Amino acid sequence: MTRDGGDGHAAREQHPGRVRRLLDAWRRFEAFHDAVFASRWRRALRREAQTQADTMRALVLLETLGVDNPVAYETLDLIPAMIADLHEWHQRMGDPEYGNPEVCC
Amino acid sequence: MPAVVVMVVVLAIFALGYRFYSEYLAKRVYALDPAFVTPAHSQRDGVDFVPTNRHIVFSHHFISVAGAAPIVGPAVAVFWGWGPALLWVVLGTVFAAGVHDFGSLAVSVRHNARSIGTIASDVISRRARTLFLLIIFFLVTMVNAVFAVVIANLFQGTPEAVLPVLVTIPLAIGVGQYVYRRRTAALLPSIVALLIVYACIPLGQVVPITLDPVAGAIGIEAHTLWIVLIYVYTFFASRLPVWLLLQPRDYINQHQMMLALAVILLGVVVGMNTMAAPVVNNDIPEGSPPWFPLLFVTIACGAVSGFHSLVSSGTTAKQLDKETDARYVGYMGALGEGTLALCSILACAAGVAVFANNPRSEWQGLYTDFDTASGSAVGNFTQGVANFANNLFIPVDVGIVFAAVVVISFAATSLDTAVRLQRYIIQEIAEIARITPLTRNLTLPTLLAVLIPFGLAIMPGDFAFGTLWQLFGTTNQLTAGLALAVVAVWVTKNNRNPLAVLVPLVFLVTMTTWALVVQLVDFATAADPLQRFLLAPLDLVIFALAVWLIIEAAVAFRKAWAARSQAPATPTEPSRTED
Repeated sequence: MTRDGGDGHAAREQHPGRVRRLLDAWRRFEAFHDAVFASRWRRALRREAQTQADTMRALVLLETLGVDNPVAYETLDLIPAMIADLHEWHQRMGDPEYGNPEVCC
Repeated sequence: MPAVVVMVVVLAIFALGYRFYSEYLAKRVYALDPAFVTPAHSQRDGVDFVPTNRHIVFSHHFISVAGAAPIVGPAVAVFWGWGPALLWVVLGTVFAAGVHDFGSLAVSVRHNARSIGTIASDVISRRARTLFLLIIFFLVTMVNAVFAVVIANLFQGTPEAVLPVLVTIPLAIGVGQYVYRRRTAALLPSIVALLIVYACIPLGQVVPITLDPVAGAIGIEAHTLWIVLIYVYTFFASRLPVWLLLQPRDYINQHQMMLALAVILLGVVVGMNTMAAPVVNNDIPEGSPPWFPLLFVTIACGAVSGFHSLVSSGTTAKQLDKETDARYVGYMGALGEGTLALCSILACAAGVAVFANNPRSEWQGLYTDFDTASGSAVGNFTQGVANFANNLFIPVDVGIVFAAVVVISFAATSLDTAVRLQRYIIQEIAEIARITPLTRNLTLPTLLAVLIPFGLAIMPGDFAFGTLWQLFGTTNQLTAGLALAVVAVWVTKNNRNPLAVLVPLVFLVTMTTWALVVQLVDFATAADPLQRFLLAPLDLVIFALAVWLIIEAAVAFRKAWAARSQAPATPTEPSRTED
């Protein structure tokens, strides 16, 4: 018998909900803890990844900067991937616009 | 008087300061606009510029500004009695630190979240940037010297704390790598890391690590050997990427700080201990430094700290979702730092003598003269925390190691961060002075960033606390003065009343300059050649920077005031409601 006087089946039915609520609460606490304590560290990791991506992008887009790129043919395939977040990149680099108005924004 | 009464009164004043004074600042002085598009939105990049919930921004801001400094300063200043120290912490926090931290954040948000040094060159003059760099150079030099001695003193005095502290280094790297590679939440690994650190406390008590035999064998003092090892460690640690060691260790430390704060505040409430220290210490020996004006440079962090303007303008401003959040984040951050200083005062004025039959004479035995008070300041703090912890049934010897580990961990991360900062500053100064070897090489500036404070830290005598601490305070207050000058000029240019900023600015600059003169006279007339030929010129250079700051601030303010008189109804920054 359970405390509410019902049989074990009723308790088992209630149990998953309770466990789920507990799990949800734990996940929320984890997310809060991450945001407070670990997010600055995660930001440093993202910054490091971003620096590497920016270096890569600068190498791939060398010719747009007026510098001859000896491996331009080999890196041609990468340009579409680089274009995807071009706007974010040139803004981050301090240029509100990139090239001619129709090129990006 | 019961310590709990002091605590409640101070926290109540802080609450009133937030409710009324910060509201006045937000509406009348900084004129925060909820519709203003913050840099977190206009320059959103997913890494640094990210609109963030204000409670999370506050926690990041508070964690960045809180450290060992608001603990050490008040622990020394209690020497003059807890009254003056507490009064300066309360008034400084409410009327200076709140204005300064909040103002730096507000001005940075209106200048694309740029750092206060860069804004200074725009708002004050181009020379202000060089002035800023020089002040920060001396500030960071003092931080690096003082914190190395803090750690060495604690390692020497509490050898049980060495093992838990050493364990945090591989543990932080391990936890960081685990969380990164497994892409998991950091909560459970953090709890496990904390448990391992605390499991090392009893282990450290069984195996205390001391350098006495090694130091004896090579013929130097153990304290000096610790300082050498600390700088060797710092040299290498500061060359590692921040995400590998510094930041994971920092977030493990942050849990410890929260725990320490909780232990102190709960211990005070549960123990109902009385203040053992006198309100004003009238038994100060002849020849002791006067509390006026030295109190105002002895307690820098905890009352007002220029370092906060670097955090406000460098990092926090990039995360503000709304401009109006600056009030909560900036002002509340200052109150948090003030609360840490309050905890330090309570630990050193009440906690240290909890078990004494005659608390007053016990306290006076610990604070006999200024040199003793300064030299044992951190030791007194750890003892006080341990006694408060005992109110919560934690054994005193465990509590001492716990508090020592907290202080050492914070001092170590501050040291690591400060050496990195010093390296950038040396490189920037070298760029201005066109010293190419320093700008193109990373090892040379790091070596300089380590060797200069090392020279100060190993000076014979206990300069690090008695003297260097106060010089640290003066440079810190000068940084605050420069930030307040930037804020005052910005407020004036925008046709608002700058009085709330001018009063702490004038007060700080006056007290700092006065303290520098008092110290200069002391150094110049001292019998010790180190004081006459090293500290006196150092003091003179910082004094020259203070005079330079006063001139720059006065000229910039006069120009801003004149421009405002000519066009009284034209604010320079109308609110923007784009996006």
